[in-house]
Amino acid sequence: MKSNMENLKYNLSEALELPKDVVLDLPKITIIGNIQLNISNHKGIIEYTQETLRINSNVGIVKISGNNMELKTILSEEIIVVGLIEKVEIIC
Amino acid sequence: MQVIKTWNYLRGYVIIKVEGLTLERFLNLAATNDIYLWDIKRVNYTVLEMKASIEGFKALKEVIKKVGCRVEIIEKKGLPFILYKLRARKMLGFGILIFLGLIIFLSSFIWNIEVTGNEKIKTQDIIKVLEKENIKSGIIKYNIDKDYTKHFLLDQFDNFSFVSVDIKGTKLIIEVKEQDLPPEKIDIATPCNIVANKKGVIVKVIARNGNAVVRKGDIVDKGDVLISGVISDENSGEYIFVHSDGEVLAKTVYSYRLDEPIIKSIKEETGRSMEMRELKFGEKGLRFSKGEIPFKDYIEEVREVKLFKKNTNLPIKLLVYEYNEVEIKETKQNIDFLKKSTHIKAVKELNKELPEKAQIESKDVKYYVEDGILSTVVVIEAIEDIGEKQIINTN
Repeated sequence: MKSNMENLKYNLSEALELPKDVVLDLPKITIIGNIQLNISNHKGIIEYTQETLRINSNVGIVKISGNNMELKTILSEEIIVVGLIEKVEIIC
Repeated sequence: MQVIKTWNYLRGYVIIKVEGLTLERFLNLAATNDIYLWDIKRVNYTVLEMKASIEGFKALKEVIKKVGCRVEIIEKKGLPFILYKLRARKMLGFGILIFLGLIIFLSSFIWNIEVTGNEKIKTQDIIKVLEKENIKSGIIKYNIDKDYTKHFLLDQFDNFSFVSVDIKGTKLIIEVKEQDLPPEKIDIATPCNIVANKKGVIVKVIARNGNAVVRKGDIVDKGDVLISGVISDENSGEYIFVHSDGEVLAKTVYSYRLDEPIIKSIKEETGRSMEMRELKFGEKGLRFSKGEIPFKDYIEEVREVKLFKKNTNLPIKLLVYEYNEVEIKETKQNIDFLKKSTHIKAVKELNKELPEKAQIESKDVKYYVEDGILSTVVVIEAIEDIGEKQIINTN
């Protein structure tokens, strides 16, 4: 049932060209070079050190590895990470 | 980003150290409670360093209780803290108040008066007249009634056609426009001559009063006496001075020469252009050039970019020089057409010189071509009254 609903939403957003991050409630990850990463629509931080950052989201855990990472801002909607970003993984 | 930083500085913020084991939970709770935290840095396994606004820090207390960690303020930054520190130094605040008061106080005076646009009347005279009305440097500027001053000046000086009074900062700017006074009417009782006001050949002399000294056909120069107000009594040999009156019609010649090259070079823009900027501090300028101008022929255009709002009279200007490349093309003009256009131009120029009452007798147009230049000479003969009254100095 739920998968049907998801399918419908997906098709709807395809048909009407609506942004999927809004319709499907998915995280939107933007990386600027290797120095900044914005992630909106997150579901909270699981782990944060200067080398690894794990953020919960609807598609699973987003794991970001890097060096000297700082959290520039944390809002309920968006997290901005600055530092040297080396790897972004999505662990389902 | 700088804007946000400045804003945070003005509002004040604290750098805090949070010590605990479940720091991620602390961050998540702060985010869900809408507490704005920024520049979060992991110092080591149990310590986080971050910045929080003053209100944010107060709101954090609840979160701290829930998570059970220790918070320590490392540094307080921003304007509110500085002001708090200064609260103890009352004399400093007093000094700032005196300073502001002094500036407001001093800037409410007129410190100098600037007069512009006057040509015949000396600036000193205008300032003297204003002083009589108690408008001088050192008075409070709010007391000046601009409208009254304007009308007062227009009353005092007959030949002012326009006066504007403006106060800019501590400067009173008086802008005037002068007009030419009409020639003074000479009273009938005063003896006078009628003299020529320009060169001409006399056509007709009608002397209503006085002694006509010129006749038809005479050539007169400017300043020559036409009708004399001095009549000598033949019997006694004495002179009688009268107020002479009459009309002296004379033929006058106006000519105008206009040179126009037949081959004309026309500058045509090719569309390529380059810009240079210059920052001017008063007289000194700093030009940001991108190397030499790569065009052989070009037109320079200078534009000023307003850096500030209107009316701010700061000595900093940004000038933009635009160089448009042009191609010089030489074209030969149609002589007949050129003759017509120069003729019209010359007549227009002559019309400006001709007095209103003059009657045009004849017009003569001549063209000469020499060295590729077309010279157009228009000569107009007119008949007009050249008499002008001039008081006789009886002494």
